[in-house]
Amino acid sequence: MEKELKRIIAILVIICILFISLIVYLSYFQVFKADKIVNNSYNKRLWINEEKILRGSIIDRNGKILAYSEKSGDTYNRFYNYGNLYSHIIGYSYREYGKVGLELEYNKALLNISESTPLKELKNVVIPNTEGNTLKLTIDHHLQAYSREMLKGKKGAIVAMNPTTGEIYSMVSMPDFNPSTLKEDWNDIMEDGESPFLNRATSGLYTPGSVFKVIPTIAALETPGLDLEYECTGSTKIDGYVLKDYGEKAHGKVNLEEALVRSCNSYFAEKGVQIGKDKIGEVADRFMINSPIPFDLPTAKSTFPYKGNMGKTDIAAASIGQGKVLVTPLNMAMIASGIANKGEIMKPILVKEIISPEGRIVSTNHPQVLSKGTDIFVANEVKNMMVEVIKRGTGTNASIKNVRVAGKTGTAENPSGKTHAWFIGFAPAEDPKIAIAVVLEEDGTTGGKSAAPIARNIIIEALNSI
Amino acid sequence: MMLNKKVNYRMPRNLLVLFELMALLLLFIYDKENIDKFTLISVISLIFIIYISNFVLLRISTGDNYIFLIVTMLISIGVVMIYRIDSTLGMKQVIWIGMGILVFFITYLLIKRIKGWENWAKLYAIISIGLFIATLILGTKRKGSINWIQIGRFSFQPTEIIKILTIFIISAYYSNYEKYKEKKYGPYYLMGIIYIFIAFLFLQRDLGTVLIFYSVFLALQFIYEENRKLILFNILLFVISGIAGFFLFDHVRVRFEIWIDPWKYIDNKGYQITQSLFAIATGGFFGTGIGLGHPDFIPEVHTDFIFSAICEEMGIFTGIGIIMLFLILVYRGFKIAINQKDKFFRIVALGISILFGIQSFIIFGGVLKMIPLTGITIPFVSYGGSSMISSFIALGILQVASEELDVEEKRYGEGT
Repeated sequence: MEKELKRIIAILVIICILFISLIVYLSYFQVFKADKIVNNSYNKRLWINEEKILRGSIIDRNGKILAYSEKSGDTYNRFYNYGNLYSHIIGYSYREYGKVGLELEYNKALLNISESTPLKELKNVVIPNTEGNTLKLTIDHHLQAYSREMLKGKKGAIVAMNPTTGEIYSMVSMPDFNPSTLKEDWNDIMEDGESPFLNRATSGLYTPGSVFKVIPTIAALETPGLDLEYECTGSTKIDGYVLKDYGEKAHGKVNLEEALVRSCNSYFAEKGVQIGKDKIGEVADRFMINSPIPFDLPTAKSTFPYKGNMGKTDIAAASIGQGKVLVTPLNMAMIASGIANKGEIMKPILVKEIISPEGRIVSTNHPQVLSKGTDIFVANEVKNMMVEVIKRGTGTNASIKNVRVAGKTGTAENPSGKTHAWFIGFAPAEDPKIAIAVVLEEDGTTGGKSAAPIARNIIIEALNSI
Repeated sequence: MMLNKKVNYRMPRNLLVLFELMALLLLFIYDKENIDKFTLISVISLIFIIYISNFVLLRISTGDNYIFLIVTMLISIGVVMIYRIDSTLGMKQVIWIGMGILVFFITYLLIKRIKGWENWAKLYAIISIGLFIATLILGTKRKGSINWIQIGRFSFQPTEIIKILTIFIISAYYSNYEKYKEKKYGPYYLMGIIYIFIAFLFLQRDLGTVLIFYSVFLALQFIYEENRKLILFNILLFVISGIAGFFLFDHVRVRFEIWIDPWKYIDNKGYQITQSLFAIATGGFFGTGIGLGHPDFIPEVHTDFIFSAICEEMGIFTGIGIIMLFLILVYRGFKIAINQKDKFFRIVALGISILFGIQSFIIFGGVLKMIPLTGITIPFVSYGGSSMISSFIALGILQVASEELDVEEKRYGEGT
């Protein structure tokens, strides 16, 4: 009997262990694995709600409808009114292909679903939610269409924004795709070597070339006791490496303004080394290089790896926007905005308001200072230099009658062998209404020749229409 | 003593009724269009029957009254969930429960009145083999297993009955162990019978039940077999047949592959288990609330996957609650066994407790992907007539085993 009892208890203990392991596993599953499993795209629960809700519309800053949904039978269909025009802003939403762009980032707002709590679930049962919110963008449809027209047939990106509020007026990335015919085009897009799905404006990382010189310019102005004079001979030798000016042109005796106006490479290479990587890096950091930019769409991080091992040649190259420096067009537009906006960089905004089906404004993206790039005096000084760039320097193609434009051109050498043509700028200089960054990828031309006229046209259009 | 008992049992009994009434109220809110007079009357009568049964049991049985209470709690949770998934099935389940309770009382009285259960091992074996053969000849295939017999409109699963008969065979064998040991091949009688059963189950491709038979047999053998080498031999054979099954039978291998990585086969063979995991993951700790989840995405949710549905809509706290209820049920069963002086009923009580424990563990672990999934029902919770009736038969027997069976003990003592 004694033996029997012992064995009975042994079996009971085994069963208890089995059951307790069940409880432990169930808790472990819920705490550590559940989140990932719930978000698996095969989980029908994720889109069952979507199919019962009329997805909200997306409108531009003037109320023009850009995307909307309509009921047909039991399902809702999504319509994109302007085809390619908003491929990188709005993106698309298909069950087969998933979601990208604002359709993804603002999915919950568009469906009017919030974080689920028992109380909200209950409310949803009593008053079923059938219609999603409308997104009002900061985009100006007219300028967006015009910007795309400017970039047609080319590769590259344009970002035009309000420097004082951070509102994005137009944002174009080429090549693009048509979200309305995604099903038919899917295979072609996937095989396209130019990656039409990449939003170059926010995620394209480019060598900036001379447009980056505004950063060492600010660093130079913030460095007391730096000798700003320099005798340019058309090239300079740093640690054995020869850095040439464009066309090996000798600029003679130049000061900081002249160097920026004529985009003198040897000046910035020499001065950059004198200023040092840490100071330039610190200024770059304040202008949101090396840090993620909070935005309504995913952004890539511009880089200037000054904290790593950088030799004198690296610093010299970086000072003229070559070498290890990589930037996004959005970041460059923000740098131009910062100089325009008395040194303060505003957080870029793409979605202005979320409006409920009843027309009530659910939330507003208010202008917000993201970072202080420099002080107002330095900003003004750089601004005046940039005005001179347009007036008599490399950027004359961007000059507008009766409007003082400030800007900087860039022609970036890159591994492809064909240069990127860059332009950043803003106008009017005395009261900036618009800031812009244009990049023409592997265009093989100079920024002053090809990017500056595009920027000019867009600035004129923006000043006239917004 | 009697008074004390009444006070002890009244509290949980009333709480149970409260739970049921609240669940009923919730169902009304959830499904107000479909509730008619018939539904209402049946559900209220069920609540009444459960209450009265608990009450009556207290009067007629001197044994353990908690096991029936635990079971009625399990039943209540199960039927609420089944009704929410499919109201027709829910109504059928209500009827099955009614019949189950009736069968419980009949079993209780029969087992108690009739003497000599320990002497009919041969009869149990013959009935079992008869049922197995009938299944193979008349059986229909469901979910890849041939384990249903269709008679007219009714279909039932003979293995549900054979499980109990097997426990009786094992109990009869070990309670007359001395007698069998003296015969020539006596020590191997039981093993022979069990392996014949397991062979039949393999033919039916009913892997879950194989596992249950093996576990119950091994556990009881571990307790009562004097020849310890036999146990080792059986465990070895269990492992070898497992490995052989993996290589010989496709359906064994498939189950194993799905268990290792169901996400790879999410479109086809892994669909069911991944849907189950989605459901459990969605529920969180407190669940979505009854009627607010989508357990209907899981195929077979009302039978094998009822636990996933409960976890989704009532939360894993309720899931853990159900696991605990089974644990208490098993614990009470073991306690009953330890206190039982009659050897036959002691072994029967152990067998039934192990059966409840192992069967629920296999399916809980299966739907959680903790162990490979084998399609079996949760006793008392899943939808199904055969399962409900046989579980109640087992419970009726356990109820008898919980009482002091002095008469048997004396008679048995004279016998040896």
